[in-house]
Amino acid sequence: MTSQARTGAALKLFQDAGHLAVDPPILQPANTFLDLTGEDIRRRLFLTNGPDGADLCLRPDFTIPVCRQHLEHGDAGRRADYCYSGPVFRQRAQGSGEIPQLGAESLGREDRDEADADMLGLAVAALDVFGIRERDIVIGDETLFASVLSGLELPAVWQRRLRDLFGETDKLTAAISRMAGADRSGDDTRDVRLGFLAALEGADPEAAHAVVEDLLSIAGISAVGGRTPSEIADRFLEQAALASGSGNHARAAEILTSFLAIRGNGADSLSALEGFAGETGLDLSDAIAGYRNRLDAIRARNIDPADLTFAADFGRRLDYYTGFVFEIHSRKADAGGQLVGGGRYDRLVKLLGAGAEVPAIGFSIWLDRIEKISGANR
Amino acid sequence: MTKLTIAIPSKGRLQENTHDFFGRAGLKVLQPGGARNYRGAIAGLDNVEIAFLSASEIARELAAGSVHFGITGLDLVHENITDPEANVHIVTPLGFGPADVVVAVPNAWIDVETMADLGDVASDFRNRHGRRLRVATKYVTLTRAFFARHGIADYRIVESAGATEGAPAAGSAELIVDITTTGSTLTANNLKILADGVILKSQAHLVASRNADWSDDALAGARAILDRVAAEEQARDTRLVKASVKDRGAALRAAEKLGASEPFPAADPSVLTLLCAKKAVADCAKILIETGGADTVTVETLEYVFKRENRLFEPLLDKVRT
Repeated sequence: MTSQARTGAALKLFQDAGHLAVDPPILQPANTFLDLTGEDIRRRLFLTNGPDGADLCLRPDFTIPVCRQHLEHGDAGRRADYCYSGPVFRQRAQGSGEIPQLGAESLGREDRDEADADMLGLAVAALDVFGIRERDIVIGDETLFASVLSGLELPAVWQRRLRDLFGETDKLTAAISRMAGADRSGDDTRDVRLGFLAALEGADPEAAHAVVEDLLSIAGISAVGGRTPSEIADRFLEQAALASGSGNHARAAEILTSFLAIRGNGADSLSALEGFAGETGLDLSDAIAGYRNRLDAIRARNIDPADLTFAADFGRRLDYYTGFVFEIHSRKADAGGQLVGGGRYDRLVKLLGAGAEVPAIGFSIWLDRIEKISGANR
Repeated sequence: MTKLTIAIPSKGRLQENTHDFFGRAGLKVLQPGGARNYRGAIAGLDNVEIAFLSASEIARELAAGSVHFGITGLDLVHENITDPEANVHIVTPLGFGPADVVVAVPNAWIDVETMADLGDVASDFRNRHGRRLRVATKYVTLTRAFFARHGIADYRIVESAGATEGAPAAGSAELIVDITTTGSTLTANNLKILADGVILKSQAHLVASRNADWSDDALAGARAILDRVAAEEQARDTRLVKASVKDRGAALRAAEKLGASEPFPAADPSVLTLLCAKKAVADCAKILIETGGADTVTVETLEYVFKRENRLFEPLLDKVRT
């Protein structure tokens, strides 16, 4: 079979599973992507302008265009399964910026575990079509990390900092050691202000808030730079709390570090997670039950959990991903990245303008990487 | 054979400073037909051509390789050239046009002193305001790289062509990344620089393109220019020290420890003529008097110090020939 025929066969597989083939526009509003994925994507976008000066980009992925189209054609929460095949466009140092992709999305299914398993099963079946059987499947679950984090009774600011870094393990590890008080360098100016902050500590929070807000208004400062005095006062007091409590998070840091190190095959990791919950006394029962149900559903699709690799620190930085994530790599050859990337993004449709969150999961296959290793696989 | 083309700023203070810089090196920039002509020459150097360009164009032309040398700020090099290491070679700083590219926030943000604080505000901003924090700047590339280095992802860049410092007050952005020399414009606009918010310390540099056609002719032109530039730079930092000494050997040994050298040994053993770093001149004189037994030491400034080895040319040759 030619690679084109294989792509066609995989697409047919998706359609037979009930996914409607769609072909969203290549030209997309750039702002949507910059807002949803952050400024860092700008250097990878092919940008252009519309006749009215609007910033447009060539689609850098399929998920957002497919969801935008979904929103335009009826009730956001309706059940709909899509598939697609075509180029996405990303600036990169080497290779063409035009990258062929194939993939599927599933929106509106409330039976999340079953949907997760269906989509992983579909991705694996697609790789079968391409003759790729030597593969590593890595799975992760942000829900577990979120549960651990919220069980640690950390100040809100640390919860936010760490949550924002989940998926970028180097930065997350650095932040955790900073939280534990290992790195206090580069904070010279802070010490001077600590005195004042310490004086506020223990004061009635509302009174302290009012004092800071008053000071700002005496200085004639109203909402400069889009932040309100109240918001500035909030964070100023948060710093006071943080400064007095810093260094007391060593235990939390230890727990997080040992959680992030959990890694193993899908079946073993379940007992590892249960052991971790037992040792630390954290209530992870909901998150672990969710993880177990998903594994059961995956097993029912003839994928042995023992063939999966669970990594507690595996996640995606983009803030619309919400739970299950997976990647499939070639075990035999270096493809230059994952062959398949997928995950749950329940928050995306709402961020695109729907009234409420809509359960959604999808994956895309990097056909250029499959092409690159296809020689090694046959 | 292509001539050596040097791109220099076509207007403003940067242009005056550039002319002064070449003037000090004994190079006179000619602009036949006056300020409206975009091509010029250097008196007495037939294999050199001058292109008068705007400052930001210079960085782009260097990257494209359509000019050999350019005079431009480091800020523009890093903003407009992808992978500066691979595309250009920084020949030497020129000592003018100093300015910092900085992150500045409103004074009212008493809770924000460092980039880490800014990261906290950025990640909370969307919850509170339903949109991302906005940064006004013309330095899109520098900003993105710097914010990424500090782990800040929750922001949007608002491109600003001019008067960036007014953006927070005007409500078109929350903070700015801009270039500042004295900081007074920022202060006037109620903005403060974050403690670790200096992205780049810039000044005007002589920059070489690694992508230009470095023919023998162009290299000969470069050598001629850099000989004069290096000779002038060297002369600025060097003094000629003369003395009549009683103990020649001891005086010379002691002076050499200060880095002084005797390039022209005299036939008369009592005459000692040294080249000495400007900052070591007083110490050198003391040695000549105390150790050498000299009664009088004179120090002269020099116009040029030419050397066989050119410390600017050799690295250039290395970079453009690989």
